[in-house]
Amino acid sequence: MSADLTAARPSRRLSASPGHTRRFPRRRSLSRRGKLLFALPAGVFLLIFSFFPLAQLGRMSVSDVSARTLNSPWEFVGADNFVGSATQGSLVPAFGNTVVFVLIVTVIGLIGGLAAAILLSTSTWLSAFVLGLMVFIWALPPVVNGSVWKFLLGDAGLINSIITGIGLSPTAVPFLYDERFALLSVAIVNSWAVVPFNALVFRAAILGIPGETFEAARIDGANRWQEIWHMIVPAVRPTTLVLAVLTIVYAFRSFDFIFVMTYGGPGVATNTLPFLSYLQAFVRFDFGMGAATAVISVLLVLVLAVIYARSVRSEEAHS
Amino acid sequence: MALKFSRSRRTRSLPLIGGAIAVSAALALTGCTPSSSGGAGDNGDSDTITVWHYFSDENQVKVMTDYKDLFEKNNDGVTVDNVFVPYDQLNSKLISAVGSKTGPDVVVFNGADASTLALGGALAPITDQWDGFDDKSEFPESVVHSLEGDVYAAQGYVNLLGLWYNKDILDEAGVQPPTTMDELNSALDAVTAAGKGGITLSGLPQSQGEWQAYPWLSSFGFNYDDPQAAPLEEAFAAIQDWTASGALTRESVTWDQTVPFQTWAAGNVAFAENGNWQIGTARSDAKFNYGVVPLPVGEDGQVYLGGEGQGIGAFSKNPELAWKYLEETYFSAEGQAIALKDVGSIPSRGDAASAPEVTDDPILKAFAQSLADNGANYPAPAVPAEAVADQQLAVGQVWSAVIGGQMTPKDAAAKLIADLEPLLAK
Repeated sequence: MSADLTAARPSRRLSASPGHTRRFPRRRSLSRRGKLLFALPAGVFLLIFSFFPLAQLGRMSVSDVSARTLNSPWEFVGADNFVGSATQGSLVPAFGNTVVFVLIVTVIGLIGGLAAAILLSTSTWLSAFVLGLMVFIWALPPVVNGSVWKFLLGDAGLINSIITGIGLSPTAVPFLYDERFALLSVAIVNSWAVVPFNALVFRAAILGIPGETFEAARIDGANRWQEIWHMIVPAVRPTTLVLAVLTIVYAFRSFDFIFVMTYGGPGVATNTLPFLSYLQAFVRFDFGMGAATAVISVLLVLVLAVIYARSVRSEEAHS
Repeated sequence: MALKFSRSRRTRSLPLIGGAIAVSAALALTGCTPSSSGGAGDNGDSDTITVWHYFSDENQVKVMTDYKDLFEKNNDGVTVDNVFVPYDQLNSKLISAVGSKTGPDVVVFNGADASTLALGGALAPITDQWDGFDDKSEFPESVVHSLEGDVYAAQGYVNLLGLWYNKDILDEAGVQPPTTMDELNSALDAVTAAGKGGITLSGLPQSQGEWQAYPWLSSFGFNYDDPQAAPLEEAFAAIQDWTASGALTRESVTWDQTVPFQTWAAGNVAFAENGNWQIGTARSDAKFNYGVVPLPVGEDGQVYLGGEGQGIGAFSKNPELAWKYLEETYFSAEGQAIALKDVGSIPSRGDAASAPEVTDDPILKAFAQSLADNGANYPAPAVPAEAVADQQLAVGQVWSAVIGGQMTPKDAAAKLIADLEPLLAK
């Protein structure tokens, strides 16, 4: 921003002198070219690692690509892969599972994140310790996180030992192998992994509220709940919108926890769109059909990305 | 002045921009180039061969290390680089590597995936080497993987499933190791009544589930030559009887083949449907008396003859050294004795399989009997090469749904037949 302002000032000065008018556009153009040159590496990087794979994905989704034809010219088949994926009966249930999964992760991730942020917005040693612990959880690779939770949620795991030990249930709860619980369990574990990130962002937003505002509210007799409801929640609303979109995108593309904890089972009860795409492409080696399912996911995420971009711009405008 | 300043800035910025582009290009190139640990001979060192495998079990890893030591000892200056690739990623990594013309020198893979890998161009044909192999006659045809007239891999050993039993639990319940399905069901009733677990197996919705399901499905008369819903329904009903009685935990839908054996080895479950490759684990982990009998699947029942296939990567930089490695390790009598000692793998060579270490061992004898009575090609010959991966996934998912109680036997049988029909017609 400051660079733009600096560039704008001489523009007005120089335009007053005819002798300098020729030199100024050249300088401005050089400056722009310089900026473009600086942006070039990032542009090339994006082109190679984002746009090219996306274009390949799109091309693959309308081609017949199997293990046999992956490394030979791909035959164009139009919408056959999309139709095939839908008619085989696994696409619609996977879409339904994805919606449920995203809802659970988003709701728990946001509410849990905000609650944790409110609790940790004080500066005590305990909150610093818990914050450090949360960053550790957030930084854990999903495969490690998922494997640990798979053991914890097993019949002989810690959670079931506590449940049966205190008499909540006479038998172990089938967290990961009953179709009523499996998707819910994996989604909750996924939420557990996203809460720390949301808490960190919410905490930053809460710490941005001036201390005087809270002091004034207390003088007026506001209790803690009123502070949360009438001050914190409105203050973090723009952050909530951005985090909601980020969490939805995160949940939408979630694959690793399902891979580690249930492999889509029992049967196909925890198959989501990304996992279905994996099965089609890398287990059945029908890369075309896997790409078609992935394209559907990408389009849905793209809509969310647009919402995200607009919400960020709106937040910047307000701030 | 302004112009001078601008030029000067431009002059100074050019190296920076150039540097940034160079770094980006370097990063991009680094990203495109396989790592030295993963690529075959990418370092251009002709005395190094890379072996990709998916073993994580301690005893199975020991076989790989022993083979490395053996080959390096016999060949001065040669280095063997064993690279672990997770089971679920091996095939996709191999097929993806074909696009960049890279990959390992030697591949140790699930034998059932030989046709998938050969179709994907990940394996080099070894027809010439195999035809010129002096000991070729020691290997039965069932362990040689061919496609469209070319040999792509062979197996240095055979793996198959048997019924491991905890003798202490059976003695306590007053039952004998079962030889028929009726005896197995009675034994399961008796041990569950005594408060013990009945049987462990894998119900994972993928190829491991299918591998474990087939003996039970075929014991009721199901086969891929003429797939019928009725025997499937009977088999699924029998499995759901086990889950209903508590003999089999529904948690097995989350287990690969390693977890159920470890669960059995902990000592509180009577039976485990598992393979001969677990002999080393049983010796080290099972603190009770145990034994093995053939899976009681009757005359119709079939037990897949599995095991890992060994082949040469399509883009091996040193195929001659790779073949020498296979000859001196997996395909040699000495090498097969190592696998037998370390993990209890049944040698595929006739001379090695008739050694006293196999014939006098009560555990291996049970597997050998199962091999003779119920051994079946894996994958079933009726499944077209292009459909193997689809068929394994379809059966694995339905198997998982049955054990998890997600589908009734009737619905599961109908769905599986509907899924299999187009695949078997490919």
